[in-house]
Amino acid sequence: MNFRVFFKSIKFAFRAKKRVIPFMMVYAILIIVVSDGYLSANWAWYLLMALIVSSFYAILISQFRRRDMSVFKCIGWSNNDVMLLVIGEVILVTVASFLIMLQISFEIVGIVTYFSVNMAPGSLLAMVHDFIVIDAVPLFSTFFIVLGMQIPGLFIAQRRAMSVPPMKALREE
Amino acid sequence: MVQPIIQVQGANKEFGKGKNTVAALKDVNLEINAGEFVAIVGPSGCGKSTLLHVMAGLEQPTAGRILLDGVDVTLISERDLPKVRMQKVGFVFQSFLLIEDLTAFENVQSVLWPSVDHTKEKQEMKALEVLREVDMLERRDHFPRQMSGGEQQRIAIARALVNDPPILFCDEPTGNLDTKTGENIMKIIAELNREKKMTVVLVTHNEDLVKFAKRTLRMKDGVIR
Repeated sequence: MNFRVFFKSIKFAFRAKKRVIPFMMVYAILIIVVSDGYLSANWAWYLLMALIVSSFYAILISQFRRRDMSVFKCIGWSNNDVMLLVIGEVILVTVASFLIMLQISFEIVGIVTYFSVNMAPGSLLAMVHDFIVIDAVPLFSTFFIVLGMQIPGLFIAQRRAMSVPPMKALREE
Repeated sequence: MVQPIIQVQGANKEFGKGKNTVAALKDVNLEINAGEFVAIVGPSGCGKSTLLHVMAGLEQPTAGRILLDGVDVTLISERDLPKVRMQKVGFVFQSFLLIEDLTAFENVQSVLWPSVDHTKEKQEMKALEVLREVDMLERRDHFPRQMSGGEQQRIAIARALVNDPPILFCDEPTGNLDTKTGENIMKIIAELNREKKMTVVLVTHNEDLVKFAKRTLRMKDGVIR
């Protein structure tokens, strides 16, 4: 793997804020939902949800970056280098949303402890707390689940990116 | 005897399938020597851009051979073609084709990012050097949307030069520019041919640009006449 291209792709992804920020939010919600549900009896549905959202995002990036990918291919980037553009953005969004959830969990636990908030079982506050605050083990394992669920989407994105000759893609723009 | 740097032998290119097949190139044969400035002129849809793309290894011909600096690009796999493009050719397109989310400097430098032969410092120095050559050093931190068409085309030229390719392919490089700006862009390209002995292949429908070339080829209906 070309690390220089990989790190540049992360910097590049930061500039696509209009797409990246909403998906960070979507992934943060995905992490909450999956970590709350993947240990339940319906774990398969939660993994399927993670798979669908992650695959959709990878395909979406390859669609949005179609022109850029074609230009990079024209100027001599290999298919693997071009794919790093998608991988960089996917990893940025996954890591950022994981950090957002980690920070939110820290903040809520900190506030509750600091102010000695009394959360009666069944109260709205307790329900919000239980839903949003994720324990360390489920949070970290969900991070790896979501990361792993990107792989099929990345394969699809890779096939889409590589199957089209660069000039054909540019002509279709 | 000068060895041709580009050889096109019996190239055919067809688009579409069955009844809808359109022949864009019909048995094209052509040789271009190192250091030449060749203009390929013809009306829209005559196949000149297709010929340029085929010569540059951006598209494979349906039949025939293309030799770039002795390398038969029709025999090279899709996987290895980018390496050949990186080493042998630079492109200037009509619509500039800059990456909108990268600055001028990054657009130029991006060609070298995958290269393991260039350190980060070397890449930066090379990018700055070519930006200076096209007189765009002071615009290095600007994004394409902050630049005029002429400036964007200069950046595109700098990007085409940064990997020191022996061949420069220009596809209607002045097509999206006003006459004066187009003239300036052509002067830069002609200077590259004169001073760096770079082989330039220019495709255009604009007869006024022919004066910059040392040889002119005319194309009609997929055939060089």
